[in-house]
Amino acid sequence: MEQKDNTEAKELGSLLLEVGVSLLSSGASCSRIRITMRRFATAFNYAAHISIAPKSISLTLKDKEDNAIFNGMLSTPSQGVNFRTISGISRLSWRAIENKLSIQQVRDELNELLALPHYPRIIILFFVSLAGAAFCYSFGGNLVEMLIAFGATFCGLFVRQEAVKNKFNPYISVFFASLVASLFAGAFIKAGLNINFEHAFATSVLFLIPGVPLINSFTDLIDGNILNGLVRGINALMFSMAIAFGLLIAMLIYNLN
Amino acid sequence: MMDPILILIKSFWCGWAALGFGILFNVPPRTLFPLWIGGAFGCLIKFWLLQMNASVVFASFVGASAIGILSVPIAHVRHVPPMIFAIPSVIPLIPGVFAYRTMLGLIKLTGTIGADYNSILSETVNNGAKTLFIIMSLALGVAIPMHVMRKESVKKIRFGKRL
Repeated sequence: MEQKDNTEAKELGSLLLEVGVSLLSSGASCSRIRITMRRFATAFNYAAHISIAPKSISLTLKDKEDNAIFNGMLSTPSQGVNFRTISGISRLSWRAIENKLSIQQVRDELNELLALPHYPRIIILFFVSLAGAAFCYSFGGNLVEMLIAFGATFCGLFVRQEAVKNKFNPYISVFFASLVASLFAGAFIKAGLNINFEHAFATSVLFLIPGVPLINSFTDLIDGNILNGLVRGINALMFSMAIAFGLLIAMLIYNLN
Repeated sequence: MMDPILILIKSFWCGWAALGFGILFNVPPRTLFPLWIGGAFGCLIKFWLLQMNASVVFASFVGASAIGILSVPIAHVRHVPPMIFAIPSVIPLIPGVFAYRTMLGLIKLTGTIGADYNSILSETVNNGAKTLFIIMSLALGVAIPMHVMRKESVKKIRFGKRL
């Protein structure tokens, strides 16, 4: 009997760790990771004690008599923001409670969820570029500036996707993307087009802003996860500096001061 | 002064900006339309307040709070965590131009000290402070309503278990 319990705890423990690292690498805040992992653990009548590091999660599972029956740790895969994973896992945790799913069922559904595709690449490129043009308009740009922002975002995002595909350092990917986007926008200004280059330049790199780490940083700090909040904040700052540096180099190349 | 139609058109475009970021973050397709609404609504409030001569920090804070509050019912209806709706929606409110001017000012400050150095310095500090406080107010505006919502959600789990 005890042997069987241990296998169940082991399976549940490794499942919970996998849920946790998927959430962490997809850009969930620490309290969301804790809530979701605890929700799963309570569904199977265990208590979960969780420690979240910037790139790994440790977990101890305890049974009703407060005996520790599983200890484990898992580090995160490197992967970008993926909100579909977060919302899918959140739904799965509710279903696991309501329909009393078995551990194997939950694991199957989790694997299915993680295999879900992203939007097609051309759709991402088009809509993010449209977002760049929209930014440009809301900052007061005209049609020509919007078209420049669209093109700059398209080129920049393309470069970033290629860099990520080739497993470049994330900050260097952002630096290259920012450089290419601002070189694109700057080329039109250098060509003597009579436009307010502030709008085109400022909006051509906005698609790179680290919005998710920034907001998660504040959420974590408010929740008292100070260490994770600081790490995420510095991560966001590093991305912002990479953007600024790319922009700076482009401006120096075109001598636009 | 902006006329109301221009504000509406700007908000319309802000909705597209929010949607684009939603696609970049790979949100589930069922949240795309709410995202568009959220982005447009937040910007509508911000531009409307700006027209009433409110400060840009306050206007951004109210806009972000509106998105945060809106994220609670939408999370229930569409079965997603509220932050999935709130983060892409709030991105059109990010002060891109102020951040850009701050960076440009800092670059200029590395040059030689001339007659206009003082005015560049004060402009840069002004833009930097605006950027910092707008970003902080965006994060806070989104985080506070989500926090309230989370407590409700935990209560429901416990209640459900007792039944």
